[in-house]
Amino acid sequence: MKTTTISESIWAALDSVMDPEIPVVSIVDMGMVEQVDVQDGRARVVILPTFSGCPAISVIKRDVAEATVRVEGVKTVEVDTTYSPPWTTDRITEQGRTKLREFGLAPPTGVAPVLITEIGLPIVAECPFCGSTNTRNDSPFGPTPCRALYYCEDCRNPFEQFKPI
Amino acid sequence: MNDSLISLLTALGDDELIIGHRHSEWTGHAPHIEEDVAFSSIAQDEIGHATAFYELLAQITGDDPDRLALGRSPDEYRHAILCERPNGDWAYTLARHWLYDTADALRLEALSGTAHKDLAAVAVKLQREERYHMLHATTWMSRIAHGPVEGRARLIDSITKAFAEALALFEPIELEEEAVKEGWLPVPSDEMRSRFLAHAADGLDQLGLPAEVVSPSDQSAEFVASSSGDLIERNGNGADGREWQPSGLGGRRGTHSPDFDALWDEMTVTYRENPGVTW
Repeated sequence: MKTTTISESIWAALDSVMDPEIPVVSIVDMGMVEQVDVQDGRARVVILPTFSGCPAISVIKRDVAEATVRVEGVKTVEVDTTYSPPWTTDRITEQGRTKLREFGLAPPTGVAPVLITEIGLPIVAECPFCGSTNTRNDSPFGPTPCRALYYCEDCRNPFEQFKPI
Repeated sequence: MNDSLISLLTALGDDELIIGHRHSEWTGHAPHIEEDVAFSSIAQDEIGHATAFYELLAQITGDDPDRLALGRSPDEYRHAILCERPNGDWAYTLARHWLYDTADALRLEALSGTAHKDLAAVAVKLQREERYHMLHATTWMSRIAHGPVEGRARLIDSITKAFAEALALFEPIELEEEAVKEGWLPVPSDEMRSRFLAHAADGLDQLGLPAEVVSPSDQSAEFVASSSGDLIERNGNGADGREWQPSGLGGRRGTHSPDFDALWDEMTVTYRENPGVTW
C-alpha cells in the first residue's frame, strides 16, 4: 500500500517537470513517462524520448531525477530511456493538447505522413490563434525537430505545429 | 558473436553522422531560409539517429558515444563514401539526399526485423522521423524535375553521379556473414541492393525522371572479395556491353576518399583540442 502511495507521489511530482522547449506542458501530459517503479525506496523512472535528435532529453532526465528524489520515501532514483514502445504524438493527452494551443503551438493532428513517393503533406493544422483549418504548410521543418511551419489564410498569422510522428 | 553486431552498428551510426554533418553545412548557406532551417533540422535528426546507434554500441563495448562520434581516426569510420562527398550544388545535394533516404527507409524497414531487440525498437522509432526526410527530398526532386530545362538536366546528371556511389551503401559490412547468421542483419546486403535498385527505379519513374540511370546491368552487380581482399564487382558487363565501373566502394572497410580527411578534420577539431569537454 505504501509503495503505491510513493509511486503516485512520483507521478504527481513528474507532472511538474516541464518540457524545456515547451515550458507549459509537463512530461506526463506529453506522454513521455512510460513507467514508474518503487521498491524499498529505490525509484526507477522510464522515459520515452520524443524526437531522437532532441537535445532536451538530457535536461529532462536531470529534472526527472531531481523531482523524483524530492518525493518522501524515495532514497535513490534511476532514470532510464527506451525506444520501446516508440513515443508518438498520439501519446499527448487532451490536457497537453489544450496547453499546446494556449502556448500558441498547434497540436498534432492525425498520424505522420505515410509517404515514400507521394508528394505533399496531407495534414491540416488548426490555427492556434483563430481556430481556422484554412491553413497551409510552409515547411515540414521548423526551429526545433518537433515543429513544422504553417500560415493561417484566415487570420494571416504564421504559426508552428507540433509535428505528428 | 558481438563483433558482427558492432560492425553493423558502426556502419549505421557512421552513415548517419557523416551525412548529417554534410547536411549541417547548409546551415547559413542554403538558397533560402526555409531550406536553411530544413537542412539544419534534418542534420539534427540524422546526428540524433547516429547517437541512438552509438548508444547501442556503447552498451556492448562500454565506450562513450561522444568518443565514437568524434574520437576515432578516419580509418576507423565505416560509412559509405557517398555520405562524405561534398554537397556540391543544389542538384547534387538533393540527388544524394533522395538516394540516401530512399536507401535508409528500406534499411530501417528491414532492421525492424533484426534479432537485436533494442536495435529493432530504434529502427521502428526512426522510421517515423525519416518519413519527413523522404517527403522533403521527394518534394524537391519533383519540383526540379518538372521545372526549367537546366535544373532538370543538372538533377539528372547528379542522380547519375550519385547513384553509382549510392549502390555502395549496400557494400557488405565487415563480418557480414556472421551478422546475417546471428540475425542482426535480417536481410543480406546483396538482397538490400536489389531492393534499392528496384525502389529507386520506381521512384524516379514516378517523379517523371529517367529510370535508365539505374542501368539494368546494375541489377546483376554483386560485390565479391578479390584475392587481394579488395571488393570487386562480378558480372560487370552491362546490357550494352560496356563495363560498369563500381565506385564508392571501400567505406565499409574504412577506406575513404580524400573528401573525408577534410570533413573529419573540421568535424573533430573541438573534440581533439579539448578531449572530454562538455558544453
